[in-house]
Amino acid sequence: MAEDRSVSIEVVYRGIFQKTLAQRICRSVVLAARKKGHTGTAFARYGDSPERNGVPAKQFAVVAADELELEASMAKYEPSVVDVSIAVDDTLVKGVESWAWYGRQPIWKPVRANGWLLVTSDKKPDEVLAQTDTAERPYTLGIVPGGASFAGLWVYKDDHTDFRVLGALAKILPQWIALDDAKAASLELAKGDRSAVASVQYGYDSTTMRPVKAGEGTSGHEVLQFKKPGWTTMRPGIIVEARKPGERNPYYKKYGARTMRPVVNFDTCIKCTMCWLDCPDECFEVTPEGHYEVVYEACIGCGICAQVCPVKDCIVMVDELKFTDNKDKWQLWKQDRPTYNAWFEDMSGVSADPKRGAAGSVPPNANPAANPTTSAGGDE
Amino acid sequence: MAVEVKPKETSEVETEQLATGCEAIAEAIRLADVDVMAAYPIRPYDGVMQAAAKLIANGKMDVEYIVADGEHSQFEIVKHACAVGARVFVGSSGVGWFYAFEAIAVTAGLRLPVVAICGNRALDDPGAFGTEHNDSLAVRDLGWLLPWAETAQEALDLALMAWRVAEDKRVSLPVAIGLDGAFLTHSQHIVKIPTQAAVDKFLPKFDLGDRLLHPDNPITIAPQVDQDWLMEIRRQNDAAMRSALGVIREAHADFKRIFGRGGDSPFLDEYMTDDAEVVVIGQGTLSLPMKVAIRRLRKEQGLRIGLVRLKWFRPFPTEEVVKSLRRFKAVGVIDRDYSFGSPYYGGVLYNEIRSALYSQAKRPVIVGFIAGLGGREIEQPMATEIFEKTMAAAKGDLAAGDTCHWIGVRE
Amino acid sequence: MTTEIMPAQNLPQIKGVKDVPYDELFVSGHRTCQGCESALVMRHMVKASGPRTIVLGSTGCMYVANTTYYTTPWVVPWMHTQLGASGSAALGTAAGLKVLMRKGKLKNEKINVIAFCGDGGGADMGIGAISATLTHKDYNCLVLLYDNESYANTDIQLSSQTPYGAVTTFSPSGDKKRLMHTRWKKNVPGMLAAGHPESRYIAAGCAAYAVDLMNKIRKALELGGPTFVHTLDPCPKGWDYHPQYSQELGHLAVETGIWPLYEVMDGVCNLTGPTRQIAEGRKKRKPVYEYLKRQGRFAHFIDEDVEHFQAQVDKMWTDWLIPGVIPFTVPAKDVAILKIDKKAKPLHEEAKTA
Repeated sequence: MAEDRSVSIEVVYRGIFQKTLAQRICRSVVLAARKKGHTGTAFARYGDSPERNGVPAKQFAVVAADELELEASMAKYEPSVVDVSIAVDDTLVKGVESWAWYGRQPIWKPVRANGWLLVTSDKKPDEVLAQTDTAERPYTLGIVPGGASFAGLWVYKDDHTDFRVLGALAKILPQWIALDDAKAASLELAKGDRSAVASVQYGYDSTTMRPVKAGEGTSGHEVLQFKKPGWTTMRPGIIVEARKPGERNPYYKKYGARTMRPVVNFDTCIKCTMCWLDCPDECFEVTPEGHYEVVYEACIGCGICAQVCPVKDCIVMVDELKFTDNKDKWQLWKQDRPTYNAWFEDMSGVSADPKRGAAGSVPPNANPAANPTTSAGGDE
Repeated sequence: MAVEVKPKETSEVETEQLATGCEAIAEAIRLADVDVMAAYPIRPYDGVMQAAAKLIANGKMDVEYIVADGEHSQFEIVKHACAVGARVFVGSSGVGWFYAFEAIAVTAGLRLPVVAICGNRALDDPGAFGTEHNDSLAVRDLGWLLPWAETAQEALDLALMAWRVAEDKRVSLPVAIGLDGAFLTHSQHIVKIPTQAAVDKFLPKFDLGDRLLHPDNPITIAPQVDQDWLMEIRRQNDAAMRSALGVIREAHADFKRIFGRGGDSPFLDEYMTDDAEVVVIGQGTLSLPMKVAIRRLRKEQGLRIGLVRLKWFRPFPTEEVVKSLRRFKAVGVIDRDYSFGSPYYGGVLYNEIRSALYSQAKRPVIVGFIAGLGGREIEQPMATEIFEKTMAAAKGDLAAGDTCHWIGVRE
Repeated sequence: MTTEIMPAQNLPQIKGVKDVPYDELFVSGHRTCQGCESALVMRHMVKASGPRTIVLGSTGCMYVANTTYYTTPWVVPWMHTQLGASGSAALGTAAGLKVLMRKGKLKNEKINVIAFCGDGGGADMGIGAISATLTHKDYNCLVLLYDNESYANTDIQLSSQTPYGAVTTFSPSGDKKRLMHTRWKKNVPGMLAAGHPESRYIAAGCAAYAVDLMNKIRKALELGGPTFVHTLDPCPKGWDYHPQYSQELGHLAVETGIWPLYEVMDGVCNLTGPTRQIAEGRKKRKPVYEYLKRQGRFAHFIDEDVEHFQAQVDKMWTDWLIPGVIPFTVPAKDVAILKIDKKAKPLHEEAKTA
């Protein structure tokens, strides 16, 4: 597929929360390119469906010079190679595990050499790069300013993320998406609201590009890969072995679905069991002293534990990008309480001292934009 | 209702009864020590359920007999009983069979050896209680084994074969025995009922091995899959169906040894074919009027004609069918079913036979006949017409060849 | 003639949260949404039942999400069944085990049989099979209906359990039709309790009241015969709210009186939890608006929609024969023919005067 004949773009996003956003981006790519007479297709990856809140999913836009060229991208579930991958939540750079046996794939996996990885983030490029798997080939990392835009199925949160992204695309793919066309398409999508045009311009101007060489990034993320068995070794009768007691599903860990993770103040914990009881993902394990610690290999960051915990700021949800591993933490608290508590305070922005407690409501470093809100009402 | 005739003690192993095909199957259920069966009323199959109920009420057999709220439930109930290791039996007819279609499809997909009868009946609307084979045939691609019986005796024998073959670990696929409505389901014939001892020699205990759903065997059966897995699973079904041919042959040989009947071939029943130039082929009770016609036309006109009756439609015994049919100049395929819009507008069997013979260098002319739909009797004039047309095709009259004829239809 | 029923295991009532069994028989690594209360129900269900259990799971989120693709989170034996077949799966499994044990083909022991279904598979397609199963008093099985108030696995379509006015992909809110779905939620547990007198246990629960739910499941399994439990499961995807509020919304559903918690055990109806407190007048029902406003599926509601919703819920509490359970009323002059202790005031009247 020659670069001048067609271009493929994928949007990697948090299922459900960013489904509409991804759809808007992919459609606007095709519609913007159409203004120059190009043809194109936009589609969601069938295997992601039905999407699940937080579980990484992908949608695609392919633009081609003509219908014949476009055929190479039809009747496929996903392009094997893309020119641009857009991660609309920066925690996705820690890797994509979409379903069982999928493994954990680096965010840049389908991106061609010298392609682009655009990431919406409030952070600096090097902060984001520090959490991205070691590059196997060069690409350009582009940071589109703004926090992750989360919404729900029925009520869309229109914070112009899609327009900013389109502006960034116009910057890197001018031969396919002219800036003026991006603006025109956005204006139509925004039903005449001219601030959309300003957002396109903002994305065009303010996306920070950071070329990445092969070898840059982190090797600290888990290698999670599988080889699928064939029909002669698969058990007859559509049968798989059950999980053993105490085992967690090795084929699907799901921690890649979280944007935030809970940190626990064991000093203030009253061992009420509610976090353990109410966790839909069986993420808590009891410690010898009766505390409940989070198994970070399983936690998907739903935040229920933080909500049901009766002690203020005993469990605090923290931006996932602040963490570089999935190690469970109670042992550290047990062996070296001051170090653990310092870590807790550093991560959560909340004092670990049971007497002091947190006077304020929202910890300063929890990114409000990373908190999916509801629609009407929401966090009231 | 089975009327017991004074046992003739014709052999060491058997007694006799005057029984319908349905009642004969009920005896097979008793002899096979079926564990669970699910019933729902629809004609003409449900005679088997009525007969079974009597046997249970009178203490002749111990089976969990569940009257379901519909055919879909009926087939789901036995499917799940089977999964926990119960030997099961179920059945339906016509649109009832179709009401269970979802369950029927997945039973094969799950490789569960459910044994059923389909009392073949026309699909209504338009409604008729008489026999057509489309109900059974509709599932022909899904992995069910599909044999057809000619007599009540064969119905009983096929039922015993069914559990034996279905439950064999090399197969582990469900079986639906086709019984022509009215002629077989409801007519009483002299049937030899085997003894329990003989059946126990033929039929081993049902053993799911490590596929048993039980707390001592922790498994998950049928997780959701996608395009990365499904082809492999289907390939396993394909392999199982291929194995079925060999397993049927083995079982047939055993059956003959123990019970002393079953014919030369497990798959085909040939009648006066040794010197035949032209034969007809079909399945079920249509063979009976055709055999009468063969004897009559041979006597009256000296025609060298014969009949091949197909006993197993799935797995299709391609090798046997080819070896048999390629000897003849012409073959008339009688379909007691329809397949609207198919090649040459032929019935299901017609197109399968053509496909089986396609690669043979020397192959007979094949003529298709649609006959006996809705239970219409195949009367002797119709049988004569079928042979006349087939003989014409043998002589090179192509107009009678690459086409299909509706027999006995008022214009 | 008495037919021998094999009782279930010895599953005592759980006294409190500290008494909840620790072992997980439904483990992490299932592809459900963040905050999925139905997954939590699955977890609690097998915690309550213990390891000598066979689970049949009909098509829906708790099949597809849990086992996507070709994997499993289940420690206990589990088998898929068809969308409308949970009743039949329970019945067939229970019948198979029973006869095999009677004939000596299986070791004689107590094995729980639980078939679950979603509201789509259970309240709609499969209601007939569930009803049939509840009449088969000779077989021990539990049908558990986990209700997230939509066909959730197919990306949220309305079912008979979808609340009045809620948005789904089959009932979007548009310029011409603000509300496309105006049917009131079908009363499944009440209907099943009323219609199947030989089922010894039918209950309504919620994972926000986990111990109550687990105890209901244990009671169902202990009493034997065919039984039914219906749970209301807040669903972040279909209801459109931040997953962290799943427990809170469960509480609100009960505290507003929208979802009553109760059991009908051997013909006796007990209200449980906050529902009992409301009925006894010790707790006031919260306005439904507190619940509705938290969910994007009601974001299009205007005052008259909320008022209608409130009025229906009020009726359920003020007019029904058994509040939240059975909707019949009788004319005032016929109150005497009801088999209710004449000295006691009907519960809803007590509530009014409280």
